[in-house]
Amino acid sequence: MRYEPLNVGRWVLWGATALVFIVAPFVFRGGFALTLMTQMGIMIIFALSYNMLLGQGGMLSFGHAVYSGLGAYIAVHALNLAGKGAFPLPVALLPLVGGLAGLFFGVIFGYVTTKKAGVTFAMITLGLLELVFACVLMFPGFFGGEGGITTNRTAAPAPFGVNFGAPLQVYFLVAVWCFASMAAMFALTQTPLGRMANAVRDNPERAEFVGYNTQYVRFIQLMLSAFFAGVSGALSCVNFEIVSAENVSAVRSGGVLLAAFIGGFPFFFGPIIGAIVFVFFAAALSGFTKAWLLYLGLFFVGMVLYAPGGIASLVLMQFPVLRIGRFRELAWPYTGAGAAALVAIAGLVGIVEMVYRLSDTSLSSQMTLFGIDFDAKNTLPWIGFAVTLAAGIGLLRMAWRAVSARWNAIQHDLLARQKAAA
Amino acid sequence: MTAAAIELREVRKSFGKTEIIRGVSLSIAKGERHALIGPNGAGKSTLFNLISGRFELSSGNILLNGEDITGLRPFEINRKRLSRSFQITNIFQNMTVYENIRCGELWAAGYKYSFWHRVGGLRDVAERTEEVLEKIGLAKRRHVLAGVLSYAEQRALEIGITIAGGASVILLDEPTAGMSRSETARAIELIRSVTEGKTLIMVEHDMGVVFGLADRISVLVYGEILASGTQEEVQASAAVQEAYLGSTHKEMADA
Repeated sequence: MRYEPLNVGRWVLWGATALVFIVAPFVFRGGFALTLMTQMGIMIIFALSYNMLLGQGGMLSFGHAVYSGLGAYIAVHALNLAGKGAFPLPVALLPLVGGLAGLFFGVIFGYVTTKKAGVTFAMITLGLLELVFACVLMFPGFFGGEGGITTNRTAAPAPFGVNFGAPLQVYFLVAVWCFASMAAMFALTQTPLGRMANAVRDNPERAEFVGYNTQYVRFIQLMLSAFFAGVSGALSCVNFEIVSAENVSAVRSGGVLLAAFIGGFPFFFGPIIGAIVFVFFAAALSGFTKAWLLYLGLFFVGMVLYAPGGIASLVLMQFPVLRIGRFRELAWPYTGAGAAALVAIAGLVGIVEMVYRLSDTSLSSQMTLFGIDFDAKNTLPWIGFAVTLAAGIGLLRMAWRAVSARWNAIQHDLLARQKAAA
Repeated sequence: MTAAAIELREVRKSFGKTEIIRGVSLSIAKGERHALIGPNGAGKSTLFNLISGRFELSSGNILLNGEDITGLRPFEINRKRLSRSFQITNIFQNMTVYENIRCGELWAAGYKYSFWHRVGGLRDVAERTEEVLEKIGLAKRRHVLAGVLSYAEQRALEIGITIAGGASVILLDEPTAGMSRSETARAIELIRSVTEGKTLIMVEHDMGVVFGLADRISVLVYGEILASGTQEEVQASAAVQEAYLGSTHKEMADA
């Protein structure tokens, strides 16, 4: 009887996750690492809440930033009022305010959007997003127009002397809320509603014939998802101390879709990986190059084409191989493919960066990349990077053949073992 | 007098200008096993779709245990304890056998849209699921994804999902279609055991299945009921013999 398993593995996994949250700021020291990790925590909540729709409910939403953004706006006003002494709201509970605001808008907008599923749902969410974005700019009194609304998190009541002036305190605020949200959202997948959301995703018709109103299943799932989106919105308000129209923008909505997809929306933990990768691109890589969005886009397209299950699926595919102890055979082919990919990426990056440098007339064409100084107006670097790219792609194809050959042999073995077991 | 389990009153259904169901009136008593037979395109599946709320009626009424259910949506009808299976297997392909059966139960067990119960901790649901799995003979296959089951197993699962909620009226649409002889024989036993004490209406082509299971039979031809009664009555009906000239008639006589 497996229906109530004593899942030791699950407890170990959650314990390890909590441990990572606690030790991370002491392992990765420095202000920048802390900023990055704080943003990752916020993005993880947002991406997981998005995946309650896409992954678990089969609802492709183009407007999820509506809930995080409006949650953030309500939170920023609440924080400012608390700062003026209107009510004694500690910053630590602000995510709850954001969450309830998200829930409120989830009830209002979700009732409309979840009336339909599939493409119609996607279109309605897109329209709603544009509508809300337009409203935000139309009512600067409440939304602060283009400039947005600023706040000061240290002005709010500070019980126990924790005023969130220090970034480390903000990190731990995010960490606690992130961990709690992760646990709550995972728990939700294990409830009747969570299971029926999967059922409605896979076969809405059959779900109706076992007594479920598919519209209600989608609606409730969206409301709960909007709550967590609001939590992440409030946390971003605390972190950045500003909320602007960007928070409800199509860019933000698209970003969370990208994160969920890159990480792997069919799996609960996929969007966690996706959020980490996304923030790495958006916050870390953006400091080095203006072309970060292009790289993110290429990465996204690559994932869609070659690994539609996201990074999570790539990781999970290795487990059966590990279990039969044949992963070692793949180690060299993987290393080779990885190295070849790096060569190709180096060539690509060189070309992209030179194009960027030349397109920006305010900058000199003299540039440094991978520790090499060169002039983007010369032909030699172009040839060099083009050759590197071509060589990288050629090597990658060869390495890929080696990987597939090994991989297929191992899969063959796995299948044979499965048959023998059955 | 107690109300019939299912009563159809002058039910009509048109698609565009074509009338598919042309005034069907039928009453099926509680606890009866009723078979709906007829040539291809007679409207048997359409009639099922009307009763279960998948299609809207053009005119007429349908009563479930004396209560008018005309115009209700599928989930509303299901909540009144009428459950159906599908001719083309309609299961949750990406879920395990166990989860499929559980999906069929959650509403009926009263958990509805709950997001505060842990589904793995629901004793009553778990016990009921075990019971259904045992009945449909898939207990050993519980962890297998429904999509990779064999055809006969998928058909059994289809029936399992249908009966899981404990409905009192069960509609089975060609439960044995495409099965081998031995599979069919097992399916008959399965249907007999899971519909014990319930009202069963089934569409079936296999006369062996029909005569083996049904208390009464209705013959539907071109959207009209030609005859309704026991096996003997239907076989003796002149109208049926006329409509069923040829192979089926012979098959009926042989059976």
